[in-house]
Amino acid sequence: MQYFSEAIKSLWTVLVGMKVTFKHLFVPSVTIQYPDIKLALPERERNRLYVNMDDCIGCDQCARACPVNCITIETVKGLPDEDLGKTSSGKRKALWVTQFDIDFAKCCYCQLCVFPCPTECIYMTDVYEFSEYERSDLNFSFVTLTPEEITQKKENFAKLESEKARLKAEQAAQKAETAAKVSAEKNVADQSGKKEK
Amino acid sequence: MIYDYLYKLTGSEIWAGVIQSFFPLFLFILPFALFAVWLERKVSAHMQDRLGPMRVGYHGALQTIADILKLLQKEDIVATENDKPLFNLAPVIVFAGSYAVFAAIPFSGAFIGSNIDLGLFFIIAVSGLVVAGILMAGWASNNKYSLLGAMRSAAQIISYEIPTIIVVLTIVMITGTLSLYKLSELQSGYFWNWMIFGGPGPGLHKFLFIPFMFIGFIILYISTLAEVNRTPFDIPEAESELVAGYHTEYSGMKFAMFFLAEYANMFAVSAIVAAVFFGGYQSPFGYLGNAFNLPWLIPIEQFFWFTAKGLFFVFVQMWLRWTLPRLRVDQLMAVCWKYLIPISFVNLIIVGLISVL
Amino acid sequence: MIIYDLIFYLFAALTIVSAFFVVTLRNIVYSAFFLLFTFLGVTGLYVLLAADFIAIVQLVVYVGGILILLLFGVMLTNRITNVQVKSGTFQILPAVIGVGIFTGILVATMTNTKWRVLESEIPVTTVYNIGTLLLQDYVVVFELLGILLLVALIGAASMARR
Repeated sequence: MQYFSEAIKSLWTVLVGMKVTFKHLFVPSVTIQYPDIKLALPERERNRLYVNMDDCIGCDQCARACPVNCITIETVKGLPDEDLGKTSSGKRKALWVTQFDIDFAKCCYCQLCVFPCPTECIYMTDVYEFSEYERSDLNFSFVTLTPEEITQKKENFAKLESEKARLKAEQAAQKAETAAKVSAEKNVADQSGKKEK
Repeated sequence: MIYDYLYKLTGSEIWAGVIQSFFPLFLFILPFALFAVWLERKVSAHMQDRLGPMRVGYHGALQTIADILKLLQKEDIVATENDKPLFNLAPVIVFAGSYAVFAAIPFSGAFIGSNIDLGLFFIIAVSGLVVAGILMAGWASNNKYSLLGAMRSAAQIISYEIPTIIVVLTIVMITGTLSLYKLSELQSGYFWNWMIFGGPGPGLHKFLFIPFMFIGFIILYISTLAEVNRTPFDIPEAESELVAGYHTEYSGMKFAMFFLAEYANMFAVSAIVAAVFFGGYQSPFGYLGNAFNLPWLIPIEQFFWFTAKGLFFVFVQMWLRWTLPRLRVDQLMAVCWKYLIPISFVNLIIVGLISVL
Repeated sequence: MIIYDLIFYLFAALTIVSAFFVVTLRNIVYSAFFLLFTFLGVTGLYVLLAADFIAIVQLVVYVGGILILLLFGVMLTNRITNVQVKSGTFQILPAVIGVGIFTGILVATMTNTKWRVLESEIPVTTVYNIGTLLLQDYVVVFELLGILLLVALIGAASMARR
């Protein structure tokens, strides 16, 4: 009798299992059709960085904060009479940013560069699909100036520098001249003084 | 009959036979395999609350075609230590064995590959060829997993042939015919004439038969499921133990032939269950062709009902696959020798006694 | 029908060639698989003789049963390739004489006998006739054979247990 009860019980349990799977046939699937439907990202997600160059003052603090050195910044001083515009917080810019590269192949998405920024111009976006075929394509450049402008700014600065250097040299020369004159006069005075004695 | 039409068309019985013998392959097995692979993936996905293939075509309908294109382009890898003649021959023999089964399957009243009187017996006999092919594949692969899978498969198929034959014998004893065509014709009319409901005709026998027919149906379904090596009886190709069993070493089109043979076998055993117990190609509710006086519609309707029944049992196979875990080898043998064979024997004797009454 | 003759010769050639390889090949797995083709060829010959039941029984018993058991046995043996056949050739002269006489007798009978050619109708189904022969006319012999096989089976099982 145990034989038959075992056989019937096993058949019955198979039917119970089949009932469960049949119910699941009509349960809505939990799959998300990813490229078509995207889940809302969490509030504090960390994805690709973006730099708002209008606000960037080229202070280099983000590059210094970066633990993996993936940010490369190069700046050129503007001319004194040049208007570089203002940041959104009203601060005057003083530097032309000629290079602002972030290598996302190196970036570890730690967000440490975001906090030191005085103008809050570097921040995390919600873009997380940016795979490339070449590793070099992951090196993003955020500079808004055209290459011609960059060379022009550099030339301007070089000119300014050379002007300054010339001025400095002139000043130095003048100084030396005047100093020499003064000392010469002094010498003359001294000698005359001695004479008076 | 399609054969007569072809005979008239070609004027030669050889050509008519040759053309007819290609019908099940190109008009049935290939489209069926395309559909069944897709269905399997969809059914498994939805039973696990997933979606399955969705990208190629509407709800992934063309996914199988994409997979076939991939398989066609694949490199045909033959390891150096393989036994090359047997390795190349094995998929052909396995597919030949499972295709030969289709010769005797009655798709409709107008199309049956070969209307031989020993249809059921023939189907059981040629499936033995598959075992030889599987053993050949396992041995020629020169791989321990393949050989173990082949040995398990052969042991399993041989064991489970016995309850299959006994249940088929029960039916043959009642109906007195081995021809699947005659068996289907016998169950014509409405669904209460099917063998599962006690066979044709009124009488006391009919009602006495019903419980034993249900037992017979369950035994036949379980043992045919084991014969096609599907879960819960898939120990020959148990992924977690044997990689892929006897077709571990195969790639590209040779693997595709094993795959096609597996799906052809799935339909073949479902078709046997449908033909023996569920009226074959007969409609359960009568024919539209009779109602509207369109005689040409009847064979098409019969084909529809036959494929519908076959597909339903294929679906149940998939359903079981995603419900039950795999049996151990000793459990497998225990189910066959301790339960199915004794019960089917007793069933045979009881049915015999009832029909003598 | 020329085409049936062609099919007959195809099956006959399949049987004989593969039987030849079964005997001569050194690799016993190859021998076993050539046996498969021998059995298939014989099945084809039975079909051409309109003996459908025997053809299918041949397929069930030999291909589905005996060949598989044979393959199991072969695959469990240690040496599969280069099997040394133990029996050498000796007593060549008497053997040649015996075989020659036997062949002569066979050929002589084949050529000299007046074969009775029956213009018989090929039965549509042979199962019914075989069934009546086995279970009515020769039922005692049939049952005795069944008992003999059962005894052999029980004997084998009891010997295997010891």
